Amino acid sequence: MNMIEFRNVTKIYENNTTALKNINLIIKKGEFVFLVGPSGSGKSTFIKLIIKEVEETSGSIFVAGRNICNLKLSRIPQLRRNIGCVFQDFKLLPNKTIFENVAFALEVIGKPGYEIKIQVSQVLKLVGLYDKINSYPHQLSAGEQQRVSIARAFVNRPPILLADEPTGNLDPITSEGIMKILSRINLIGTTVLMATHDKNIVNSMRRRVVELEEGEIVRDQKRGVYGD
Amino acid sequence: MVRPGYFFSETFSSLRRNFFMTCAAISTVAITLFIVGLFTVIVYDVMGIVNSIKSQVELAVYLEDGISSGLKDYIEQEIKSWEEVESVKYVSKEQALEKFKEQNEGSDILKEIDGNPIPASFEITLKDPEKIDQVALRFYDKDGNYINGVNDVIYGKNYVNKLFSITAIIGVITIIIIAVLLLAAIVLIFNTIRLSIYARRKEIEVMKLVGATNWFVRIPFLFEGFFEGFIGGIVSIILLYFTGNFLLIRAERLIVDTMRIKEMAIVGSSGIIIYVYIGLAVLGGLIGLFSSGIALRKYVKV
Ligand SMILES: Nc1ncnc2c1ncn2[C@@H]1O[C@H](COP(=O)(O)OP(=O)(O)O)[C@@H](O)[C@H]1O
Ligand SMILES: [Mg+2]
Repeated sequence: MNMIEFRNVTKIYENNTTALKNINLIIKKGEFVFLVGPSGSGKSTFIKLIIKEVEETSGSIFVAGRNICNLKLSRIPQLRRNIGCVFQDFKLLPNKTIFENVAFALEVIGKPGYEIKIQVSQVLKLVGLYDKINSYPHQLSAGEQQRVSIARAFVNRPPILLADEPTGNLDPITSEGIMKILSRINLIGTTVLMATHDKNIVNSMRRRVVELEEGEIVRDQKRGVYGD
Repeated sequence: MVRPGYFFSETFSSLRRNFFMTCAAISTVAITLFIVGLFTVIVYDVMGIVNSIKSQVELAVYLEDGISSGLKDYIEQEIKSWEEVESVKYVSKEQALEKFKEQNEGSDILKEIDGNPIPASFEITLKDPEKIDQVALRFYDKDGNYINGVNDVIYGKNYVNKLFSITAIIGVITIIIIAVLLLAAIVLIFNTIRLSIYARRKEIEVMKLVGATNWFVRIPFLFEGFFEGFIGGIVSIILLYFTGNFLLIRAERLIVDTMRIKEMAIVGSSGIIIYVYIGLAVLGGLIGLFSSGIALRKYVKV
């Protein structure tokens, strides 16, 4: 089954910057895909299109077989509940504990309290932070904070996880820990798309690599490395 | 389902955070609505006065109770002999009471009447209304007291136009003041909401990211705006209540005295005041909702 499909997708921003040019790409259920390319090549734009944070200029995007281009505004939250998102800057709320940060994702979609407790505990065990449940983000290392943000993205068990340079702020050893968690999430059947320009990570993982250059796909390799 | 506790705690922590701005917003709403309320009550009263003056005859000469029929006939003949007078009609105590009951049907005033407190009168119409002061003066002796047998002389009709134009001027000024204050109130509430949105921008970003619905993101802010406006409305009601009991009654007395209107003409606004109160509270809430609505439109995009 096609989890994410881009058909002739072009994105031109209001200031006439062409971020993506006629992109065609299919990502199947359960795949782990690296989106690589230099800064400004369109990786973040690609991810933002999937969660409808930006609108494509032309072409169609399908998520789990559904065309999301004409999605009503009121249906966007439903789309996002099925897509977990992780970013370089974690986006944790500083005045909430680790538990509350993760629980927040379930609270705002109206999950009942007992379910929240169970799911948050489970996902925090998955990322190995169950013992930090009552800490605040500033009491955690950057790597731990990123694991909390992965926990929050995954707590609702979405079929898709998008990660935009999740290791961008982390040292190589910490990054390795993050990749282990993402692999584990992928192993349980989640489709993972990760934008990065971290050579070492891509090379060590040997997964599918899609390379962007100035908004165009210049390479799509089954078990690829970062570049030549 | 979402627990309502969530929205309340969000609202009140926001209100505490922007305490000063919130107070300014609430006060402005309160003052605005107070003026709206006061003006409504005054207009209602003035309308009442105008209507009762209109229903009055040009010149009414009230007679003392127990006047002898000789004196009554004498006065009537006297009035008829004046060339300015077009017609004279005698209204007995019984007729007057009947008429008063008709005019005030359903009013509380009727319950307070016992016996017949309404005097008999001559209702006089003039060929030339301009001469009214001249004619009215003939019912006074040279010391300024009413002549024998006469209890009171009322001629209100020429005040109607004056009252109308004064009310119109006050009305225009009041509406301008209300418009300015209303705008200030909206701007102030808008601003407190803007600050709350700013203070919670990270949370809003995360909420949208994990798929919170638009309404879920908005409701705390709408509630905050509504709350500010509603409290402003309540404060205005309290202000109006005290002014109503103090100033308005004095003002009414003043009107009665200066315009020489029968006191009973002023029924007062007590009958509608409860609707004015409800209206002010609702209006306050709506102003708050409206203001936060535009702040949300501006600062919270999907
Ligand atoms: N909101 C925006 N408005 C205008 N141009 C943008 C915007 N976001 C990104 N761009 C431009 O689009 C191109 C691709 O950006 P981006 O998708 O962020 O690339 P990457 O994530 O690979 O660094 C860049 O040239 C960037 O300047
Ligand atoms: Mg980027």
